[in-house]
Amino acid sequence: MDEEAIMYLVFCAIVPVLIIANLGAFGGGIWSVLAVLLAALNLTFLVAMTFADFFVFPLITGMLGITFQPFKDYKITKGQDAVIKNINGLYYATGFVTSNLFAFVFKAEQTEEGLEMKQVQAIDAWEKMVMSVKFAFKFHVLSVARDVQIVRDELEGKRSYQEFEMSKALQAKNSNEVIIGGIQRKINVIQAQIDNIGGGEKPMASLMYFETTAVGVSEKSALDALAAQVKQLQVAASGMNTQLTRIVGRELYILFRYSFMLPVDFNEMHSNFDVEQ
Amino acid sequence: MDNRLFMFLGFFATGVAIVVITVGISSLLPVYKIIFLIIGIFFSCLALSVRGYSYLITPVFRQRKRDIVISNEDAFWISSAGDAILTKDGGEYVSTVFVRIPLYRSGTEMTDEEKLNFSTQLTKLVSASELPVRYTSQIYIMNKDNYINTIRSNASAAQLEESSLTSTGAPESAVHRARGKASMWQTMLDNVRKTTSLEMVTYAMVSARGDQEYEALSTAQQRAREVMSGIAAVFGVQPSVITGQDILKFVEPEYLIPYSTTTEQMAQQMNEGDLNG
Repeated sequence: MDEEAIMYLVFCAIVPVLIIANLGAFGGGIWSVLAVLLAALNLTFLVAMTFADFFVFPLITGMLGITFQPFKDYKITKGQDAVIKNINGLYYATGFVTSNLFAFVFKAEQTEEGLEMKQVQAIDAWEKMVMSVKFAFKFHVLSVARDVQIVRDELEGKRSYQEFEMSKALQAKNSNEVIIGGIQRKINVIQAQIDNIGGGEKPMASLMYFETTAVGVSEKSALDALAAQVKQLQVAASGMNTQLTRIVGRELYILFRYSFMLPVDFNEMHSNFDVEQ
Repeated sequence: MDNRLFMFLGFFATGVAIVVITVGISSLLPVYKIIFLIIGIFFSCLALSVRGYSYLITPVFRQRKRDIVISNEDAFWISSAGDAILTKDGGEYVSTVFVRIPLYRSGTEMTDEEKLNFSTQLTKLVSASELPVRYTSQIYIMNKDNYINTIRSNASAAQLEESSLTSTGAPESAVHRARGKASMWQTMLDNVRKTTSLEMVTYAMVSARGDQEYEALSTAQQRAREVMSGIAAVFGVQPSVITGQDILKFVEPEYLIPYSTTTEQMAQQMNEGDLNG
């Protein structure tokens, strides 16, 4: 969860906090209880929308039967998990699947042993996956370079925090070697990343996802076929040692728009997704 | 100020103001206080939703129906030169160019060292550009319509020949030959329809924005040239800008699955349904 989301939550939580702080204004009794309940409900919604909007938003649209038309001839279903296009009575349902939506890719994290073997195996695993799938799909890698100075500052901030944690762990009366070792490893990784930037390497951000399309004579049949295809993709990609997750909600809308227009810089891309660290 | 932030501040301030005023007026009946509280809470929820769903808020409140239209415009149109697609986002034009990457290598014909080199090349490719670039491997169903039509007309001609030979009392050997030919074309037709043939293509996609169409187009073309030189340098191949109707294969779902394949699939599904039923 990024800082921006937390900021939004903190600001919006002022309303329920104000209600709780002024309970006396409701005259006590049932009205105060009702006010507390409303404040609690508000807070629950705010927390749920911040941490699990991918669950809350489709739940609301599904219950109310709300669909969206992102462009002419296209429709985002009430489950918020597919985009449908109707061409002369045929329905084309498109869904998106990801395993590392907005994962941070850094060469420094790839210094572990066996990397070469992984790189060799990756090609075979990919071809095996392609051969086992008998329907149309796309695999996208959207990459963008990050500002070197910003990444460097972020990493230095992270290193300082880990060093602070380390000093706390060392000063603790019953210092645990396992914890100290873990913090030291984190510091080493961050330091390797800083060194790589110093060595001229470009820090990159990337977004990897699958897109698949199924066809049917009705919306339901197209969606059913799409669900089956997504499952097959998940099984086929298991050989690549990655877990694929279906995209729902606003991220589906964003990825669908990427079919026609890409973000122009890192900030635009970053603001659309929750960052997985 | 960012439009999203402006909306957030508006909703947040309204929510807080309503709650503050409600708890501040002591003469107000508790039932009215609760009603105003609900309105304040609603604005607080709306303020939080702005973070991810600002694109929905205006259409939802303007239309107040279940099928909400975010945009009624075409998702894109092809530029007059046919080398890019254009779309409008806000007041700006966004131009997107597609670059074909002619890679025809398979892991089955590579040694481990070559596989490692290929993986390294892919990593280099992804980090070649500073700007957002989307690399895609697309597997789509081959359009065999023309091929099937040729076989179908050959099968019809052979059947016609057979029936005319039979009706004119031609020698039995000639009839047998014509029957064999008709049978061969029919078998070929059945086999071609039975199997789904897939094609794979790799391409890169870059976008650029501009206040005018030509501005967005020229910037996108410039970026595409940068990406093309990166691809050429990494893989030693000659990438090309995709033009005309070929672009549709990458943006329109119906071009992923040809109509003939769709009808065949449906006939197959119906047959399977009959057998199972």
